[in-house]
Amino acid sequence: MSNRELSYAEAIREALAIALERDDSVFLMGEDIGVYGGAFQVTGDLIERFGEERVMDTPISELGGAGVAVGAALTGMRPVYEFQFSDFSMLAMEQIVNQAAKLRYMLGGAVSVPVVFRMPTGSGLGGAAQHSQSIEAWYAHVPGLKVVEPSTPEDVKGMLLAAIKDPDPVIVLEHKLLYKMKGVTPEGYYETPLDRAVVRREGRDLTIVATAIMVHRALEAAQILASEDIDAEVIDLRSLRPIDKAAIVGSVKRTARLLAVYEGVKTLGIGAEIAAIVAESEAFDYLDAPIVRLGGVEAPIPYSPVLEKAAVPQVEDIVAAARRLAQGEV
Amino acid sequence: MAVEIVMPRVDMDMASGRMGRWHAAEGAHVVRGATLFEIETDKAAMEVDAPASGVLKFIAASEGDVLPVGACIGWIVPEGEDFVPPMTHAPASVAAASGAAPCADPKTNDAAYAEGALGLRATPAARRIARNRGVRLSGVKGSGPNGRIQKRDVEGRAASVDAVTSVDADASVDAVHSPSLDGRPFGRPMDRIGRAPQGVRKDARLSTGDGARRNAVVDREWLQRGEGAPIVFLHGFGADLNGWRPVHRLLPETRPALAIDLPGHGLSPLGEDASFEALVEAARRALIGEGVGAAHLVGHSLGGAVAVALSRGASVKALSLMLIAPAGLGEETDTAFFEGFLQADTEAALTPWLHMLVTDPAALGSALARTTLRQRRERPLVAEQRRLAKAILRGGRQAIDVRDLLAAPQAPTKIVVGIEDRITPAHHADGLSGLIALHRFAHVGHMPHLEARREVARLIEELVRSGEE
Repeated sequence: MSNRELSYAEAIREALAIALERDDSVFLMGEDIGVYGGAFQVTGDLIERFGEERVMDTPISELGGAGVAVGAALTGMRPVYEFQFSDFSMLAMEQIVNQAAKLRYMLGGAVSVPVVFRMPTGSGLGGAAQHSQSIEAWYAHVPGLKVVEPSTPEDVKGMLLAAIKDPDPVIVLEHKLLYKMKGVTPEGYYETPLDRAVVRREGRDLTIVATAIMVHRALEAAQILASEDIDAEVIDLRSLRPIDKAAIVGSVKRTARLLAVYEGVKTLGIGAEIAAIVAESEAFDYLDAPIVRLGGVEAPIPYSPVLEKAAVPQVEDIVAAARRLAQGEV
Repeated sequence: MAVEIVMPRVDMDMASGRMGRWHAAEGAHVVRGATLFEIETDKAAMEVDAPASGVLKFIAASEGDVLPVGACIGWIVPEGEDFVPPMTHAPASVAAASGAAPCADPKTNDAAYAEGALGLRATPAARRIARNRGVRLSGVKGSGPNGRIQKRDVEGRAASVDAVTSVDADASVDAVHSPSLDGRPFGRPMDRIGRAPQGVRKDARLSTGDGARRNAVVDREWLQRGEGAPIVFLHGFGADLNGWRPVHRLLPETRPALAIDLPGHGLSPLGEDASFEALVEAARRALIGEGVGAAHLVGHSLGGAVAVALSRGASVKALSLMLIAPAGLGEETDTAFFEGFLQADTEAALTPWLHMLVTDPAALGSALARTTLRQRRERPLVAEQRRLAKAILRGGRQAIDVRDLLAAPQAPTKIVVGIEDRITPAHHADGLSGLIALHRFAHVGHMPHLEARREVARLIEELVRSGEE
């Protein structure tokens, strides 16, 4: 077994290259993904390897670019459209939500829209209010879309390849702080399921369900908690639509306590869904404490680095919340 | 017919009543129309008459208890009738031993034990455990915020109430296996049971760092070590991992294979939670403990249902699924078998029940009855399997249902049934997804892996290969 490590961005680039090699119908679109190599240098040298017909720089119009991608997908192509920031995907909502997500349904299954929308998300790089949002819950609310948020290089490669192969539109959310994170990444083609959560750490005292960068913060928190004899289970949700209810319910039935950690604004975010899944399930009877959510504050992401950090859950916040929960203080 | 005694509504606006004095004791003969007990409302004390004649049994309320209207407070059973109150929640042995009344309606049962309507603060987990163990929450002091009763408060209470009947997996395990500090396997009572240590009997604990002490034991054995994803064998109700040896011997030696004793079977104790989910969870933990992330699951009967549930979880990827006479695909079963099998305490009594499993008794081997009885003397298997039977059977039918989980099989799946199966009828496997291969063996009963072991071994090998591609 190879222990080759790639960064998250390199794993994405490798997945894209493999897809481009394997399937002529795959092509990439996005602003500055060609010559410049992408806003976060994810596509890098792909334009040199595959040419500008398959790695296509598009004009500064997200609505236009996404519309072309959806149209191409309708004709049987498999476009992968990169937004520079997930914030900018709001300009393309019409194409994503009203067109891509609905066309299979509205045409009675006669068509499918095998498009992938990649979008960097989240705060932590000083991007301020319009470049730092976490809007995963917006997309996860739309039937017809699949929404995934991989947290490791291995997962982002496998999930991106699965997304490209998937016959329906898939949103792949890439947390910006993950791009430089390294991890063991298998070589060659493989797919990671788009509907399964994964247990990153087994524990008995509470279940922490986390997404994206919060998975890593939760794991770090779990290390600290372990030194206090608190044994936290950490579930990486990975998929927001469909959401792996069984993984959450099964875990909470064992640990009796649930902490949901996510970067999006706390109110009406993914954590609300996680809490509701447990409250509605047979795990309800196993809860030994109220469910706790840790999400982003009810405010735009500030530019000040100090305030930016304070606006979303950090390791110490997770430790404090988990400690109170595990010790029966909530 | 037994008659349930409930807290009556004597006032139009009465939601609950306080029990007064009983006029008859548990076991006493009562006559219809005679005063049976008193209740106290806000306004007055009232006498309530016996609704039937018979023996007063299963008293569930004592003086001073506040109970919602309609809550079951006992039963009047006709003289000589062997009556067990219908129950949906609690393992009867535990509840009865601790003086709890098993009552018909789960809602009133909840109310009586969890007292949800009466303003008492308790977590759902505390309420569930109270319900299952017959602990009255009104007498429990809560240690949580604002006096909220938590799981640990009820567990402490339950320990004193039913110390004899409550099986604490961790405690019983620590009594048997003392941890060794030098990394050698924990001591195990193998010789007591007389099982030859074939293959590599693995330490049954999970090795998740310092949490290991608190993890319940799931016994398992590598029938074959090797490279690649293993075959994982999950036995049926009343069996154990040894039952797989005959068919395993026919598989290629290169194929790793792991067999698990489900809780309440073989060497695996059954914890407090006697549920189907607990079996699935135990199997999952065993696999994680062995570092098995992907496996070819082979399950027989109840183990088949466990395999299906396991294959749908997140932590273990099922590469293929082989279900042999699986449970959970239909409702019918022969409950007489379960009763007879668990009740029989001699070889002569047990043998006919075992013969129900097969068409030709020779397939079982001659020593099975003797081995089963010997194991039952060494471990509390009968008590544990009774508790388990309560969870998987309800009203004479199977209570577990995994049909929906098979609607869209993710991995290659085969079902093997014997047409003459008397425990899980062969037609239960009808009408499933067309992606599932169904193999129906004539002149075979509930044990295809013993009765048609060569064929089943061949099917396992074919399936495993297709699951690897």
